[in-house]
Amino acid sequence: MNTVSALRFDASKDDRIVAGVCGGLAATLGVDATLVRLVFALLALAGGAGILLYLALIVYTDGRVAIGAPLVAAAAALLLLALGLSVIAVLGVSLIVAGLATILVQGGSIRPGGSLPVLGIVLLVAGAVIFLGRGGVSFSLVAPGSLIGALVLVIGPWVWQLVAERTERIRLEERAEVAARIHDSVLQTLALVQRHAGDPTRVAAVARRQERELRRWLYGGGFGSTATLSDALAEAATDVEELHGVRVELASAGDAPLDESVAQLVLAAREAMTNAAKFSGADEISVYEETTDRSVSVFVRDRGVGFDRSAVPADRRGLSESIEARMLRAGGAAAVTAVPGEGVEVELTLPRRPS
Amino acid sequence: MKRRVVLVDDHELFRAGVRGELGEGVEIVGEAGSVAEAVPLILELDPEVVLLDVHLGDGGGEAVIAGVAPERPGVKFLALSVSDAAEDVIGVIRAGARGYVTKTISSGDLADAVERVAAGDAVFSPRLAGFVLDAFREGARVGDDAELDVLTPREREVLQLIARGYRYKEIAARLHLSVKTVESHVSSVLRKLQLSSRHELTRWAHERRLI
Repeated sequence: MNTVSALRFDASKDDRIVAGVCGGLAATLGVDATLVRLVFALLALAGGAGILLYLALIVYTDGRVAIGAPLVAAAAALLLLALGLSVIAVLGVSLIVAGLATILVQGGSIRPGGSLPVLGIVLLVAGAVIFLGRGGVSFSLVAPGSLIGALVLVIGPWVWQLVAERTERIRLEERAEVAARIHDSVLQTLALVQRHAGDPTRVAAVARRQERELRRWLYGGGFGSTATLSDALAEAATDVEELHGVRVELASAGDAPLDESVAQLVLAAREAMTNAAKFSGADEISVYEETTDRSVSVFVRDRGVGFDRSAVPADRRGLSESIEARMLRAGGAAAVTAVPGEGVEVELTLPRRPS
Repeated sequence: MKRRVVLVDDHELFRAGVRGELGEGVEIVGEAGSVAEAVPLILELDPEVVLLDVHLGDGGGEAVIAGVAPERPGVKFLALSVSDAAEDVIGVIRAGARGYVTKTISSGDLADAVERVAAGDAVFSPRLAGFVLDAFREGARVGDDAELDVLTPREREVLQLIARGYRYKEIAARLHLSVKTVESHVSSVLRKLQLSSRHELTRWAHERRLI
């Protein structure tokens, strides 16, 4: 619950002429003490309001707020009288102020479920009626301003609190999200790295997976969301790295949304990466994805042992079924260039429908 | 004759790693961890190549290049980063770096890259090649200076092969060119990347960052 904090200040023991009130106030407000004394002197000329206020503040600094507050109110009333307001108008203003004070002190709120002190409302309305009704014609210009001021006083703190709470909530939610991500990924990875410190291949794979995930989160579509071709390829590359302990170097130019046929292309690319990882003997696989207005292409290349197509047993279906036939079904094509001793490159292409 | 190299990276651990890996082939004459340290050090040592992290605590690799290049035009910069952001990569290249490689590069490839940059060539990692192809996309609007704003078909071919993981020698064999010619194509792309005023380049890098 928010409380309206009063201005805290203590009477100054060093900078004092009478009781040190002006010095203390000046120190609190950060202004020159002479200026404060001048204001009090001017107020003293206004029907003695300054003197009364000074006494009120002496009491206040002693900790006796209950006595000090009415004294301050009386000083304010004297000031208003001295400025030429009628007694009725001063009474009205006093009631309005007392009403507002009551509402603020009792922690009133117009939010749903918040309480509105009845006494405060009654005082406020009574004050407004007296002030507007019999305060005199000369205040007809002041009256709307006073009402708006009163509203601002009541609603202001509430609006401020609402905005502050909202900002804080958003900040906390963001923080919680970041913390959850860090926990799920980075901390787990660090734990894995410590456990497998003796296994460089595994450590490297885990570290690279983590790097990719963080990178995707920082610069890409975010964690876990594979809405585009390059995100999906990055995910496939990560899986292959982790399963087979190779490095996959991924480059891309352009990107495409992940529709049904593009998803098939990614599956074919993944199969090509897996083949390279399992059979090529190379420790690095290069994957390049290029999207233009007309087509999507993915190249998967290794610099490994290569193979002779005619020597591949007919029951090995990885290449013909998972890559070539899949690409044909998706409306694209696959081309495999294999040279024994120099490595393999699989080129997957998919025409794009004009959108 | 070993190449004289200065290493600029704000991670002590990473510097130690590179020093260990490159120890044989090059001579690491100095190390710096910030822009403020790097600029006077490079001016004093006048190395052949500076391996430059894109991100430093007190500014980017761009700031180091800006501080050194006017007084020591002979010093070559090779950007070395984990950063994926096209904006950063293109930024450091446009500031004057002769190439960009990712920190996951193998030590052999890194030694090659240093040698290549020292010899005045450009070094494009597959990832940078992809960025450049994307930025100079076919059919994209051409700016004021047509020659600088588009890649020739040959340059495009060379870049595509780099992106696909081919080395210069393999590219030369495949395209029936000499390695020198491949190198000159890459240098020409680097020049376009640095000098092209096409605002698509900036906008593109910015968009990449935002996606």
